[in-house]
Amino acid sequence: MVRIKERYLLVNILYPTEIGTRPNVPDVVVINQPTTDQLTPVVLLRGIRAEVANLFGDYGSGAIEGGSLSVKYLSQATSTFILRTSRSSYRFVWSALSFINSIPVKNGKPCIFRVVHVSGTMRKAEEEAIRRARDLIFAAQNGQNEP
Amino acid sequence: MLYDLNIAWSPTTSPDELLRTLRFSASLGYDVVALNHTISPPIPPQISNPIPEFPSSPSSPPLPTILRRATLLFSDPTQQHRIPQLASTYDLLALRPQTEKAFQAACLNIQEASLISLDLSARLPFYFRPKPCMAAVHRGVRFEICYAAVLSPAADARARATFIGNVAQLVRATRGRGLVLSSEARGVLGLRAPADVVNLVHVWGVPRERAVEGLGAAARGVVVNEGMRRTGFRGVIDVVGVAGRGGEGRRKRKNGGEDGENEGGAGANSIVTAAGVEGEQQQPPLSKRQAKKLKAALRKKHVSGDDEQKQA
Repeated sequence: MVRIKERYLLVNILYPTEIGTRPNVPDVVVINQPTTDQLTPVVLLRGIRAEVANLFGDYGSGAIEGGSLSVKYLSQATSTFILRTSRSSYRFVWSALSFINSIPVKNGKPCIFRVVHVSGTMRKAEEEAIRRARDLIFAAQNGQNEP
Repeated sequence: MLYDLNIAWSPTTSPDELLRTLRFSASLGYDVVALNHTISPPIPPQISNPIPEFPSSPSSPPLPTILRRATLLFSDPTQQHRIPQLASTYDLLALRPQTEKAFQAACLNIQEASLISLDLSARLPFYFRPKPCMAAVHRGVRFEICYAAVLSPAADARARATFIGNVAQLVRATRGRGLVLSSEARGVLGLRAPADVVNLVHVWGVPRERAVEGLGAAARGVVVNEGMRRTGFRGVIDVVGVAGRGGEGRRKRKNGGEDGENEGGAGANSIVTAAGVEGEQQQPPLSKRQAKKLKAALRKKHVSGDDEQKQA
């Protein structure tokens, strides 16, 4: 039996444009602030598909077509999501994510998508997400930057 | 250690935006960044370094180590006699050749610059031929790929295509060797995390391990070389601090060493010559055995000296 190989991308949404505007809040908290609730999995997928089509044309859109791209988890509170793509096309998706400059909703805030983990199984991506969330809390408590 | 050797700076850059960029690059994990000042061809008669310095204090938010770099738009290879002075005022010097002749000269002749930074998003009036490119790489000159130009929303499809084509050509000519990846970010949105950058250039045709090298080892090589060239003597000896009197000399030397470390490890692998000579007389770190040996040798000398005097 041949498995369909996949890649899970764990992505953080960062908001660097507001650093320094709030003097009492540490940088970590400002950068990792919550995302707007308008960003639903459907909207996010549409944004990524559009960017892939923009960058890689029909070939790219074809590669991520057929249910191979989906949002497995999206948390607006921690600005984190997990994407599933096929292994052959994850680099397209990843570079499309690097090219996105704002949240793909109407009047979206400027942001940066940072892929923090790539793994072959959902479980490892989830564990990493939990670890990162915990580190983030500690970092915010200490008022220091992420290690 | 991760390096980003190009963050755009100009006299009109607002300090707030600059500080924001630096803080964000620290939080993305970059350890050393260079602020870049682009200079157009007539080099001003009075060369000064206008880039502000950022003193580090424990209370301020963490910033990466900041170097100051100049990029000279270089079109006429006959006008290079002032480049050494320019190089000495900045921590790094890069050239941006505009013509084929200038590119050749930058690859083969010019000693002071260790980076060739091309504007890859515009059509270049020359091809990258493997011979001069490889000669440059063997000489220690690195080629720079600046990715922020394509990432900004202002970039049109044509510029992106040209950029990717140029990167592919450059990789073909150098076989992926001697590349340095840097952002040339004009604002905070031009920066990307190291892993994202590696993936991007991998898609554009740079081998993955070469890309990792371009963010770390290759960039470090440039910084360390330039640091040695400015503080050291022929790359062999590095003076990291001058000995004062007694214990003061020691303290100074220690501080100097740390400064060297901050400048990208310039002092780390150099020979320290300025060990306080006078300092050693005050507190001799000799063992008893060594002291005895020394005494014996001194006595011998005295005796032989006396003999010689008698003979005379």
